[in-house]
Amino acid sequence: MRTTRRVFLKSAATVAATGLVAPSIIRPVSAQAGGTIRIGMVLPVTGPGADAGRFALNGAKIALEAVNKAGGVLGKPMELVTEDDQTTNPGAVLAFSKLASQPDLVAFLGSIRSTQNHAMAPDILKTGKPVAFGGTDPVLTQLGNPWLFRFRPNDSFSARVIAEYGVSTLAKKKWAIIHSTDAFGTSGAKALTEALGKAGATVALDQGYTNQSQDFTPVVLAIRQSGADVIGSYFTFENDLGIFARQLRQLGVQAPWVGSASIVNVTALKLAGPSLYNTYGVADYAEESSDAARNFGKAYRAVMKLAPDNQSSWTFDAVTVLAKAINAAGKTDPKAIREALLAVRGHEGAEGTYNFDQNGDGLHGYNVVRNDKGNIVFDKRIDFYKA
Amino acid sequence: MDLILQLLFTGIGIGAVYALVALGFVLIFRATNVVNFAQGEFSMVAAFLMVVFAVDLQWPYWLSFLLAIGGMAVLGALFNLGVYYPLRHRTYLPVIISTIGASIFLANTTLALYGPQPQVLPPVFETQGFLVGPVFLDTQYLLIIAVTAVLVAFQYWFFEHTLIGKKLQATSQDKEMAALLGIPVAGMIMLTFVYSAVLGGIAGILVAPVLFVSIQMGATIALKAFAATIIGGFGDVTGAIIGGLALGIIETFGAAYVSVPYKDAFAFIVLVAFLAFRPQGIFGERIAEKA
Repeated sequence: MRTTRRVFLKSAATVAATGLVAPSIIRPVSAQAGGTIRIGMVLPVTGPGADAGRFALNGAKIALEAVNKAGGVLGKPMELVTEDDQTTNPGAVLAFSKLASQPDLVAFLGSIRSTQNHAMAPDILKTGKPVAFGGTDPVLTQLGNPWLFRFRPNDSFSARVIAEYGVSTLAKKKWAIIHSTDAFGTSGAKALTEALGKAGATVALDQGYTNQSQDFTPVVLAIRQSGADVIGSYFTFENDLGIFARQLRQLGVQAPWVGSASIVNVTALKLAGPSLYNTYGVADYAEESSDAARNFGKAYRAVMKLAPDNQSSWTFDAVTVLAKAINAAGKTDPKAIREALLAVRGHEGAEGTYNFDQNGDGLHGYNVVRNDKGNIVFDKRIDFYKA
Repeated sequence: MDLILQLLFTGIGIGAVYALVALGFVLIFRATNVVNFAQGEFSMVAAFLMVVFAVDLQWPYWLSFLLAIGGMAVLGALFNLGVYYPLRHRTYLPVIISTIGASIFLANTTLALYGPQPQVLPPVFETQGFLVGPVFLDTQYLLIIAVTAVLVAFQYWFFEHTLIGKKLQATSQDKEMAALLGIPVAGMIMLTFVYSAVLGGIAGILVAPVLFVSIQMGATIALKAFAATIIGGFGDVTGAIIGGLALGIIETFGAAYVSVPYKDAFAFIVLVAFLAFRPQGIFGERIAEKA
C-alpha cells in the first residue's frame, strides 16, 4: 500500500510539474533587476495558440536585440519577461497578474487575442501601466482604459477594407460572412455587416462557428444554398481556417474569398495549401508594403529562416515603439510613458505608420494582398488616418 | 435530398472517428473497470509519429505507419506499467485521475519535443474524393469508415472466436476467478492497453489528413468519443460504434438545421440526457456512478 501511494504521489507531482511549472521553464534567465529595463509579455506557449506565440516571441526578440544594439533604453539593456497564457482567458489573467506583481516591470505586451485582452482589461486598469496588445476588436480601445495601446489596426478598418475591395474592385454584391463566435470574430462580422451596408451590398448569410471545429460541411452547404457570390471571413485559428478552406473547395464553392489577416498567416498557408490559392486578405503586415516592412522581413528571415507574418510584426513594432517612448519620456514613470506613446507620430513600423490617437489606436489602415499559388502578393495599402 | 445525403456522409465519416476512439475506451473499461482519459492523446501521439516518419524523415508511408503503430504498442505497454499497474488495487478514482495526469503529460511532452506548430499529414490516396451524383465523397472519410468496419469485425472475431479473446473476456468479467483458472490476468490487461493504444493510434493517423496534426487534436476527438461511449453504453463494443456514428450524424444535422455555433452542444445535450434517463446507454451496463 505504501509503495502504491508513493507511486501515485510521484505521478501527481509529475503532472503538476508538467502543467504548472513548465511555463516558467521557458522564461528567459533574467538579468538582475535594476540593471535592465524590464517589460512583461503575455503569450501562448501552450494551447491552440502556441504556434502563434512562438512567432510573437520571435518578433519581440528581434526588436529587443535591435534596441539593445542601438544602446538600449535610458542607457540600460531592455529585457523581456514572459508568462504563458495557455491560450485561455483564465490563463491570460493569471499570466498578467504574475507579471503585474513584479514592480520593476515598466510596461507589458498583451495578447493578439481580443477575448484575452478583454479578460485582462480590469487588471490592466488596476495595475496602471501601459500594455501594448494586438487584438483587433474595436471595442478594446473604447473601454475607457487609458493603459491599452493597440499595435495592429482594428477591425472597423479591416471591415471597411474587405467591403471596399470586394464591392469596388471585385464587383461582388451578395456576401456570405463566416466568423468565429469569439470577441474578435463577432465584432469583426458586425463591423463588416455595417461596412457592406454602407457600400450598398447585401449579406446573404452571416454564419458563426465555434473555435476548434472539426467539420465545416454545414457551413459550406449554407454558403452554397445562400447564393452568395463572395465570402468575407474572420477566422481566429489557422487550424479552423485550413479545414474550412479544404472543405469549401471540395464541396465546389469557388466564390472569391476576402478574409481577415489570418488568411495570410504562415501557418494557414502551410495547412490549407492550394485551397487558399487566389484568395484575398486584408493584412496588417505585408512584406512589400513599405521599406520598414521589407527591413523587418529581411531581419526576420535572417534569424528565423522563415517568412514573417503579422503574429511577429506587431510584437516587433510594440517593443520598438515602447523603447522609443520610454527614451522619449526620459523615465519609467507609467504616466510619462503613456504620454510619450500618445505623442508618437509618423513612426514607420513593420505594420505601417504609427500615429496614436487618444483611444490608443496606433494604426489606421490595412494592406490588401492576394494568394498567388502560395505566395503573398501585395496589392495596395488603404489608410484612413487623418492628422 | 442532396443536402441530406451530403450531411449524412460527413456525419458517418466523423462519427466513425469517434467510434474508433470509443472502441479504445470500451476495451480498457471492460478490462480494468476504469475510463482512460488519455485515449485521445494516443491518437495525437500516433499522428505526430507519422509526421516524423513520413513527412520529416520522408520514409515510405507503409513503413511509417508500421513504425507509428509499433510505437503506440510500446506506449500502451508503458502506459499500463506506469499509469494503471501501480494503482491496480485501488478504487477506480485514483486510476482515472492518473489517466488524466497522463494525458496532460503526453500533450506537454509532445509539445516540448516537437513544438507547437500544427502539421500536415498527406492523405493515403492522392485523390481527395469524387462526386457520386451531387454528393462529394471524401476518400479519407471513406477510408476511415472502411477501416472502422474492418476493425469492428476483427474485434468481434477476436473476442468471440479466439482463446486469447475469451481469456480477455474472462479477465474483464472477474479477475480473481480468471486468475484461479490460470489465466495470466496481468498479461491480459497489458494486452488490452497495447491494443487500445494501437486503436487510438490508427484513429489519429486516419483523421490527421482531415483535421491536421496538432497537440489539441486528441482532446477534441476524445471528448466526443467519450460521449459516444456513454450513449452506446460503456463496455459494449456495438454500443460504441452506434454511439459514435449517432453522435457524428446528430451534430452534423444539428449544425445544419438548428445552429452551427451550438454544434458541440448537441453532443453534450445527448450525453446529459443519457446520463439522466438511460445511464446504461443504448446497449450497455449501468455506469452512471463511475462516469
